[in-house]
Amino acid sequence: MAARIWNRGGTMKNNKGIFGIILLFLIVIVISLNLFSVNAIENTVCCEKTQSGLYCQDVPSSECAPNSRQVPTSCQSTSYCKPGTCYDSVEGTCLDNTPQIVCNSNNGTWSEIKPAQCGLGCCVLGDQAAFVSLVRCKRLSGFLGLQTNFKKEITNEVQCVLSVQSQEKGACVYDFEFERACKFTTREECLGNNAGNSTGGNGEFFAGKLCTAEELGTKCGPTKETLCIPGKDEVYFKDSCGNPANIYDASKINDKEYWANVKDKSEACNPSGSNANSASCGNCNYPLGSFCRETTSESAKASYGNFICQDLNCKKTQNGQSYKHGESWCVYDDAGSQGESDNSVGSRFYKHICINGEEVLEQCADFRQEECVEDSISQGGIKFSQAACRVNRWQDCTAQTEKADCENTDRRDCAWNEEAILAIQNGSSKGACLPLNTPGLKFWEGDEAQAVCSLANYQCTVTFEKGLFGGEKCTGGCECLSDSWEKDRIGICKALGDCGPKINWAGQEGYKEGYKIDVK
Amino acid sequence: MNLGWNKRGQVAIFVIIAIVIVAVILVIFLRPRLGFTTTQGFSPEKYLGDCIEPNLRDNINKIASQGGYYNPEGFVVYNSTKVKYLCYTSQYYKTCMVQQPKLREHFEGEIDSLIKPKVEQCAMNLKAEYERQGYAVSLSQAEESISIVPGNIRINVIAPITITKESSQNFRSFKVNIKSEMYDLIMTSVSIIDYESTYGDSETTLYMQYYPDLKIEKTKLSDGTTIYVLTNVISKESFTFASRSLAWPPGYGIEEVQ
Repeated sequence: MAARIWNRGGTMKNNKGIFGIILLFLIVIVISLNLFSVNAIENTVCCEKTQSGLYCQDVPSSECAPNSRQVPTSCQSTSYCKPGTCYDSVEGTCLDNTPQIVCNSNNGTWSEIKPAQCGLGCCVLGDQAAFVSLVRCKRLSGFLGLQTNFKKEITNEVQCVLSVQSQEKGACVYDFEFERACKFTTREECLGNNAGNSTGGNGEFFAGKLCTAEELGTKCGPTKETLCIPGKDEVYFKDSCGNPANIYDASKINDKEYWANVKDKSEACNPSGSNANSASCGNCNYPLGSFCRETTSESAKASYGNFICQDLNCKKTQNGQSYKHGESWCVYDDAGSQGESDNSVGSRFYKHICINGEEVLEQCADFRQEECVEDSISQGGIKFSQAACRVNRWQDCTAQTEKADCENTDRRDCAWNEEAILAIQNGSSKGACLPLNTPGLKFWEGDEAQAVCSLANYQCTVTFEKGLFGGEKCTGGCECLSDSWEKDRIGICKALGDCGPKINWAGQEGYKEGYKIDVK
Repeated sequence: MNLGWNKRGQVAIFVIIAIVIVAVILVIFLRPRLGFTTTQGFSPEKYLGDCIEPNLRDNINKIASQGGYYNPEGFVVYNSTKVKYLCYTSQYYKTCMVQQPKLREHFEGEIDSLIKPKVEQCAMNLKAEYERQGYAVSLSQAEESISIVPGNIRINVIAPITITKESSQNFRSFKVNIKSEMYDLIMTSVSIIDYESTYGDSETTLYMQYYPDLKIEKTKLSDGTTIYVLTNVISKESFTFASRSLAWPPGYGIEEVQ
């Protein structure tokens, strides 16, 4: 009889039962030692300030700064470090999870529950809106020289934005310094419902008209200049009073009608295209990847004015594809595979984002504790890709004994391996649940990696019968003698984490074999 | 004849009155500008602005690269720079505790204390410049206040100064405006800190889609720290800070609980 024992640690027994008991005993000891050490570390205090200068941290007493208050309980339970909402009465902002002492020492107003001042509403700022608190609204209105127009009855951001989009705009004509002046604005601002405006609230409003309309007889006339408007994508003509006119269209520069009446985006030049880098059309389209920007020495030039629809899209990114501004996608270009229970050591997931024609990358959490997920939406034949890093839920994979539980993607990210048997199983049933993306382990320190990897230890008993005239014949457990068995066991080992004969993210093999087969 | 002369006299008087009225109106409208510009076209505000700005910019860049602190405590070293944790937890699986809820005010305070010597020096330089131009100058101790607002950093230099040469002119304070998008970067950082402290992470793509001039670079370090670098792509100004929230340990984290 021969025993073939798969063992990372090197322990070898020739009796399956005894081996199992001893292995379990060892695991219990390792985990107990670990838990014991955890308990030792977990004796923390709520420290008002640590030696490194951080406030309200649950750390060992030795890490507290001298003269800092400390209580042997969690910070949640203390008076001085209790987390709550910190209200900034100047900016009108509220920050959750702020310790009382941090808020008070910075002249904030702390409260355990969110105060009424943090309630959000719709702040109308001319033809724009912000969904903010009342004090924040006052602050923003003050910056823009507008009177506060806060609508607390609007309770969501979408409604808030829509409420200002429906505002009627036109020419507001008023007398100023013996001249007939004009401002392109909303009816509300023109007629003085929003005091504090430059028209003095005594203007005459002409809906849908531009200040350059000849019939209004204002001092404002057409120019060859253009401008960008905050909150708008497009390039606009500018009149001699500094007001915006219609969307820049070089062919309409002398068109009196175009300088008289407000034209919708759909009535302007090439409304279905992005018009990126177009010299003659300023009908930029942000969702398609163009936006009003000042021209530079490197950028394309407009026929008139100093502004153009700048191309924000990314051409030929790292993966060879082109993406639109704001699109994000997953990249896993380290050595090894992903989603096949065999990720390389040190590899991680990346989310790439296309911003202003630049490819920006964002790492998901190290040790593959996060993985990248990606999907796309299509509208009108245009695809828009979105990616995100989310938690890799591998932790309870090996505890699953049923295939259905293992592959429940609502709960975990695991794969069922029909042939696998783990050390924690009793050996009677085949099949084990393993992580889809294997977690990284700190195998270079501590005992945790060894405890995790030892789950792949396996003892196979092979039975031989001696022939009458010599020689041996395998009669039981013969599959353990095949190369495929060894390969399978290596696969299980690798699927548990950074265990076994893995390569690193650069594709290099380790200095050790990574596994050991003892035959006795 | 006499009647004719009287009429001419009346017209002349009206013309003189009209000229006086126009002159008074011009004085009224131009007075603020005249008040801050000496006869030789020298603007003390521009002089102070030009003197303070280079030093101010250097200090702003330094403070902004360290999370709003000139000499931070509770930091992580990233690219050889001490980056302040504006939200931090030492534990795994927990959301962070906010470390600085009034970031703008703190930033203003840091700039204020750093540029104080420079403002005093610039005020003395201004005095010397007036003296060089032949003025007798009386200057009191200069003080300043900083406010960071959308599009600008405003410095109000309170330096009562009297200059005398034939006549006297008094200035009490000078307003120096420096173009900067730091306000928006700071307030966006506060919003990200709010997400970090509430949810443990933030979705930067949405910020960048909503604000076309904003670029956010997010780097996750292996200890669970996240470094945020917010940049205005037009002005190229940036603000960097660190956060450690909802960190995950390697493996099961049995040995990693802190």
